[in-house]
Amino acid sequence: MKPASDLLMVDDNPADVALVCEALAANKHRSRLHSVGDGVEAMAFLNHRDKYANAIRPDLVILDLNLPKKDGLAVLTAMKAAPDLRQIPVVIFSTSLLRKDIVRSYDLGANCYVSKPGNLNDFFFAVKSMEEFWFGFVNLPPRGE
Amino acid sequence: MSSAGTKLGTQDSAVPQTKLRALLVEDNALDATLVVRALNKDGFDVAADVVQDEAAFRRMLRSHPPEIVLADYNLPTWKGMEVLKVLRSEGLDIPMILVSGALGDVTAVECIKQGATDYVLKDGLARLPEVVRRALREKHERSLRQQAERDLAKKVDELARSNADLEQFAYVASHDLQEPLRMVTAYTQLLGERYRGKLDENADKFIGYASEGAQRMQVLIQDLLAFSRVGRNEPTSKTVDCNAVMQEVVQTLATTIQESGASVSYAELPAVWADRTQVAQLFQNLIGNAIKFRGEKPPVVAVQAEAAGERWQFSVSDNGIGIASEHAENIFVVFQRLHARTEYPGNGIGLAICKKIVERYGGKIWMESQPGQGSTFKFTLPAHGPDGKQEVKADAKHDSKHGARQDSKSEVQR
Repeated sequence: MKPASDLLMVDDNPADVALVCEALAANKHRSRLHSVGDGVEAMAFLNHRDKYANAIRPDLVILDLNLPKKDGLAVLTAMKAAPDLRQIPVVIFSTSLLRKDIVRSYDLGANCYVSKPGNLNDFFFAVKSMEEFWFGFVNLPPRGE
Repeated sequence: MSSAGTKLGTQDSAVPQTKLRALLVEDNALDATLVVRALNKDGFDVAADVVQDEAAFRRMLRSHPPEIVLADYNLPTWKGMEVLKVLRSEGLDIPMILVSGALGDVTAVECIKQGATDYVLKDGLARLPEVVRRALREKHERSLRQQAERDLAKKVDELARSNADLEQFAYVASHDLQEPLRMVTAYTQLLGERYRGKLDENADKFIGYASEGAQRMQVLIQDLLAFSRVGRNEPTSKTVDCNAVMQEVVQTLATTIQESGASVSYAELPAVWADRTQVAQLFQNLIGNAIKFRGEKPPVVAVQAEAAGERWQFSVSDNGIGIASEHAENIFVVFQRLHARTEYPGNGIGLAICKKIVERYGGKIWMESQPGQGSTFKFTLPAHGPDGKQEVKADAKHDSKHGARQDSKSEVQR
């Protein structure tokens, strides 16, 4: 059996984190969801700093754009500039449908851009599809490299 | 007489007198007295300063700004016409009348062209009071008009600003409202799904109402966003071939057309000068409505265009349920609906967007209809850009599965 996958969700809205958690609850990939509420925390988590010294290296990052302290695009830029983080796929998960946000995200190396659907079933479908694609279909870089 | 300026006193008179501060440009003291006397004889109470060179003239303009300047044409050191230049350079709008001994027709016409109100010959001074009165009247009217123009420009400015503020507000509000609303929608749905039948009957019903309300509000906000987006950016106008746009629209509406058994036909359409996306939205909304508000028969929708000066006038007509004429105006108001939501779904945003698009290009949109007889929506769009630019379109093929088929070549005039 495949080892469980680890997912880091960077989002300041606990309600969205809870929804993603619900969406992942009945899954076969046994994904573990970790979450942080702002961009600075996200970088601390990824770099195992401070209270995140023992944090696991996630297999996938789900990143909101509009974040306190350090916004999503800044986190994305920092991740793609770090040799040890740039292999982790980043899914931008935002309400924004603005063309400039989408284009900018891909410019900065986002692996995909998904708009948060307003409807519950669409939201669940989006999260489950992400999980299925990244953990069931795609070949991710081996852990610890 | 000194060049610094000479005071000429007023004279007694029985007639009611209009006080008048005049500046005379004159080298002949007697002539100056005659001029003042002519005015005082006919309803004026003149306080006059007399100067005869430019320096004194400029000084006097500043120290005792006159209501009128009366200038001799020929002075030993200065030409009376130079007075106009000085007035202009000082930015003063003071009427100037030439009072001269002999003035040829050509010179007189030239003076008036340069801005003199009129000219009066020294041997015809009786005419002077009337000329002065007219000059003062015109000056008054001019300043009223200028004030009105300034007021209007200010109003236009304010209106443009408050309009822009409103657009911005609508956009920000609707965008920021989406976020919390998404939570309400998602979690009422989640409650509804997870706890259905586990609470009591009422609870299921209540959660259902809350959830439906939230979902409807989401659609409303999205519509509002779409509406405010129409005015947000400067339109990127270019030549748009309406045949190609119609082809696209028919494709977009393919399912609707098929399901309703509609026939959508369009005659040879011209090109317009507008934003392509907005033109497509305009046609799509109108044709979508024509199909939506259908009667018993399968919908028949026809799009046509005819030249109307610098514009093209389009018409989209259908054989649907029609609209009573008393609703002709308010159907274009945002969120106005004539039918129950259960009868015909929608939020009443489509026509409001159409109106906003058409008006962006200085056009008009209106409706002609009778209940039961179908309706025709007409609108105008610019035929070309401000510089008259219009590329000539090559051929266009229209092929709608349920629509008219045309293989002729389209040639856009002008």
